Order: sequence, then structure tokens, then C-alpha cells
Amino acid sequence: MQVFFQTFIGGVSLGAIYALVALGFSLVYRTMGLVNFAHGNVVMIGAYLASTFYLSVRLPFALAMVVAIVVTGIVGVIIERVLRPLENKDFDLMLIGTIGFGIVLEALAIIIWGATGRAVPSPVPAAPLSIVGIRVRTYDLMVLAIAAAATILLVLFLQRTKRGAAMQAVAMDHEAATAVGIHVGRSNAIAFVIGAALAALAGGLVGPLLYVSPSMGGSLGIKGFAGAILGGFGSIPGAIVGGVAIGVLDSFTAGHFQGYSELVTFLVFTVIIMVRPTGLFGERTVNRA
Amino acid sequence: MSLFARRRVAVLSLVAVTTLALAACKAPGSNDNSSSTNKGGPIKIALVDAQSGQLSSLGAWELKGAKLAVTEWNKTGGINGRQIQLDVFDDQGDPTVGTTVARKIAAEGYIAMIGTAESAVTIAMAPTLQQAGIPNITSGQSPGLVAVKSPFLFLNGPTSTTYDETLAKYIVETKGIRSIALITNNGSFGKGEHDAFTKALSTRGVTPVADQIVTTDQKDFSAALTTIRQKNPQLIFLGAEEVESGLIVKQARSLGITVPFAGAAPQGTPVFADTAGVANIEGTIVSSPYLSNDVNDATKKFAAAYKAAYGEEAELHGAKAYDGAQIVFTALKNSNVATGKALADAIRATKHKGLLGDFAFDDTGVGIFATSIGTITNGKLVAVSS
Repeated sequence: MQVFFQTFIGGVSLGAIYALVALGFSLVYRTMGLVNFAHGNVVMIGAYLASTFYLSVRLPFALAMVVAIVVTGIVGVIIERVLRPLENKDFDLMLIGTIGFGIVLEALAIIIWGATGRAVPSPVPAAPLSIVGIRVRTYDLMVLAIAAAATILLVLFLQRTKRGAAMQAVAMDHEAATAVGIHVGRSNAIAFVIGAALAALAGGLVGPLLYVSPSMGGSLGIKGFAGAILGGFGSIPGAIVGGVAIGVLDSFTAGHFQGYSELVTFLVFTVIIMVRPTGLFGERTVNRA
Repeated sequence: MSLFARRRVAVLSLVAVTTLALAACKAPGSNDNSSSTNKGGPIKIALVDAQSGQLSSLGAWELKGAKLAVTEWNKTGGINGRQIQLDVFDDQGDPTVGTTVARKIAAEGYIAMIGTAESAVTIAMAPTLQQAGIPNITSGQSPGLVAVKSPFLFLNGPTSTTYDETLAKYIVETKGIRSIALITNNGSFGKGEHDAFTKALSTRGVTPVADQIVTTDQKDFSAALTTIRQKNPQLIFLGAEEVESGLIVKQARSLGITVPFAGAAPQGTPVFADTAGVANIEGTIVSSPYLSNDVNDATKKFAAAYKAAYGEEAELHGAKAYDGAQIVFTALKNSNVATGKALADAIRATKHKGLLGDFAFDDTGVGIFATSIGTITNGKLVAVSS
């Protein structure tokens, strides 16, 4: 029983990170109908920026995170700006474009920070809490709280603000949205910026949990993408549930299947997707292709 | 609608294939002045190691060590009046990329190869190199390297069998610890460590209380570590590369596991210490052929030259690559710059007094059969007094 709960908690904390990554994927997808394959690499850039401002510039962790989020948001703007001429014209080229951006970002990280990577010490040095034999790291609680807060802010933005409503409208029908005077390009740019900011949040938070290196975007990106698909691509609650589910699934398969855990994780994922091709919250999936 | 959906699937699979193709295409070579043959001009030696990716710190150390040896030889006139040209290839720590690199160095006329630091990559490259007749001295230590049985494959250090035999002897016989848990990864290195250590334990009548296998890409070890914690072992054996080992120790400490860890080469590195956090690795028992830079005059001299060249402390992997390069160059000198089988035979015949000890190669391509035990005390690896 102790193993069960401890495994669950370990899975949830990484799952929260996957959920943030999945949110970024889903947000861009629901607005533009585009899978941003550079997203994992944007997470990596966010992780590097946060660790640089935290370790080298010696800002407090929270401030380093804010700076990283802003700078990574600008990276998002640049990606959207470059891809904008292709919007609603050539979808395939845009996809390839995001892959290209991913490779560029990884190369850029190697040029700036070197290929080796770095370890980030935990900003919350407090000892883990012990609850009936289950150990909970204080940093994990912080990650969960921040992820939850970010999700709530995002949902409020989409549902309560005019800009958010405009983005929803573009997601539903971009031609009709243009007809009623919504600037589609701007709405797409905002989606990219928020997506990149979420990526930076995920990257900055995952730094002290893992090891920051130029290739870290790969596995985080794949797990986040799988989370988004599992929850129903384009759905906000789906991304949260899907991301956490992938994290927990990963933890349990690691416990039971050890060396074959990765295989089992994606087998289970495939079966779920076969049974429910639209994911868990799939009925709300937007399809613009 | 369904047409579109199908088209999207097609596009996505195209995208996936393109990504793979692009990754495979990342040209590993950095220097491309091929066409020079073995008849004159510089002697072309390839260094193949991960220069990017999670294992790139290994590649960086290897490069520094090998480069130091090349500089030394070139300063004193090279080999038979010919300079040594060391070209770097990035295998990204990936066996598939490694096989591409193997074909490339065969095609471009390199006569010997230094690297790689990853057993899996070296094993993947071995058949191509054997076919092309290119001797290769690796820093890998998996017993799987010996199992390849290539007459062109040499090791610049002991195999896991030696590391773990020494370690098991110290833990079980000297320290009297018999309640031991294992956590190893399923990569080539981890599997080698697992098998070698389990065997060394069983000859001493010890069965591990827990035997957890993780993947090389795993990030969360809660399940494995909680299982281990419930068995309450006195010591945990760790068989994984630097970064993963560090993450395991960090998570173990946060789960309230306080017993020491033990392992081979990776646990003696600064990357392991940084990833785990220095306070968390106190008391770690390490089996290594190169415990510190202060063992003897040769290591002190090497460490000083290393520090002068790169401004950082030398460590095991740089020393191994340095030894490996020295052995290849000595063999080249002794054989009057032979190539192919003749060079491989010359390497096998080379007796070298290296930083790791005295090399004398046997038929399996292993030249050294001893390691020492150290423990991490106040963040530094210190030899145990025996």
C-alpha cells in the first residue's frame, strides 16, 4: 500500500509538469489547428533561461521564473511571426516549420550553454513531509500549486476576458471570426505566447527535479504531447487530466514492468486511444483542417 | 472530413519520418579533409564520442584526455616524423548514429579510432570497424564488449566484472555488509553492472534483497526506491550513468533512504555529485581504477597538464582516454605506422605503464584487471586505507 501511494505521488508531481506541457500543445492546437512540434524544445529553452537567471545571475527562484517566462514568451512571438505568412495557406509547411524551429532551438542552446547540461539545486531545501510513511517533497507540492494556479488563470482568461473569447471564436471558425472583426493573426500570436510561457513554466519547474540539457525537450515533449492526445487534443481540462494520467501511468509501469515500462506506457496509451480516438474529453476537440 | 483526417495522419507520419531522418542526417564529422591516405601527411585518428545529449559530459572529458596525448606526441615530432590528426565525431550517445559514424570513418580512411565512452554505441559500431579493419580503443566497460569477440576492439580500462568483483569483495568481506539492494538501468552499461555485481555477490553467498531495473530514460524512481526502502537494506548498489545515478540518489534521499550507495566509475564524477547534490552522496563507495590525481607522479603530471590546458580538474574518463590514446600511438610507433590487422596486433602487444596501472592486453582486448575502492568523504573521493 505504501508503495502504491508513494508511486502515485511520484507520478503526480511529474504528471503536473507533463500537464503544463500538454496545455501548451493544446492551446496552440485549438486556436490554430497546428501541432507545434517545437514545443518540447521551447520547454528546454525555458528550463535553461530559468536556471541561468537562478544560478548564474543569482536572482531569487520566483523572479528567475518570471524573467524566463517573459523571454520564452518572446521566443513564442518570434516563432509565430515567422510562420504567420503560412497561416491558413499551407498547413503542412507550417508543421515542418515548427520541426525546423525545434532543431534550431536545440542547436542554439548548445551554442549558448554547451552540450553538457547542468544540475539545478532545489529552491525549497526543506525536508520532505512524512504523512503516515508516505514522503512528500515540499518542492512537489509547490509544483502542483503553481500548475493548478496557472490552469485556473488560463481558464479565467479564456472564459472571462474579451481576448480569450475572441480566441475561442477563432478556434471555432476563423473566417466567421474575421468577419466580425477579430484579428486572427493577433489571436494566434497570443496563443503562441501563452503556449511558450506555459512551456517556460514547465521547464523552469522541472529543472530542479531533473537535469537541464539541450536534449531534455525530447522526452518531455513526447510525454506532454501524449498527455494532450490522451485527454482529447485541444481540450484544456483534457490536457490537465491527460498530462497527470501519463505521469501516473509512467510511474506505475516503472514499478511493475521495470525495464519494459516505456513500452507498456505507450501500449496502454495506444489501447486507450483505440477505444476512444478523441481522447477522454474528446467531444470538444476542435478540428480546423 | 475523413479525407482531411486521413491526410492529416499522412502528414503526421511524414513529419515523424522526416524528424527521424533529420536526426540521422545530422552530420557527425567536424573535419572533412579526407582523401589523405596512409602514405604521407598526418596520421588520421578518429575520436568518436557523444558531444551532445545527456552523455556529452563523458564525450567532453574523453576529448580533453585524448587531445592532451595528441598534443604531447605532436610536440615531440609526432610518429615517425608524421603529425597526428585527431578528428572529432559526435555519436550523440546513440548506437544508430554510431553505426553511421563507423561507416563514415571507414570511408574517409581513418586508421584507428578512440572512443566511444558508451558500451552500447561501441558494440553497435564494432562489426563495421572489424570489417574495415580499424582498431578501436573504447572507454566502455560492459562485459558485452568482450562478448563481441572482435580482434579490433580494445578497452582502455577494466570491465564491469573487475569493477564489481573488487566492490563486492570490499562490501561483503571487508565491511561485512550482506543486506544489499540493486537498482540498475536496462542499458548496455547498466545491464553489465547488474550481471557482474550479482555474480560477484553470489560467489560470496549473498542474494540481493531487492533487484530493481529502470529504463535509461526514466525520470521518476518512486516505485523502485519505495520497494527498496521497504526491504531496509544496509547498502544500495547503483548501476546507471552519471545523470541518472544522480537523480536516483537525489530522489532516494527525499524518500528518506539514508543508507550509502555503491557503484563503479559514474559515481566518482562531478556530474553525479552535482545532479545528486553534494550532501546526498556522502559515504558513497566507489570502485575505480583512477581514484584521484594524487596516486603517483604520472597522474600528478597528467593532472597538472590537464589543468593547464583546460582549467579544470582531471578525472577518470579523461585519464582513460589519455591512456587509450597513448597505447594507440605507442603501437603505431612500434609498428612503423601499420594499419588494419598489423596495427591491432601491435596494440595487443603493447605493454604500457599508464595512469590507470600497467596495461598488458589479453586475447579479449582487456588490458587492465584491477580497481581500487574509495569513499566520498566531505564531497571528495578518498581512497580507503586497506
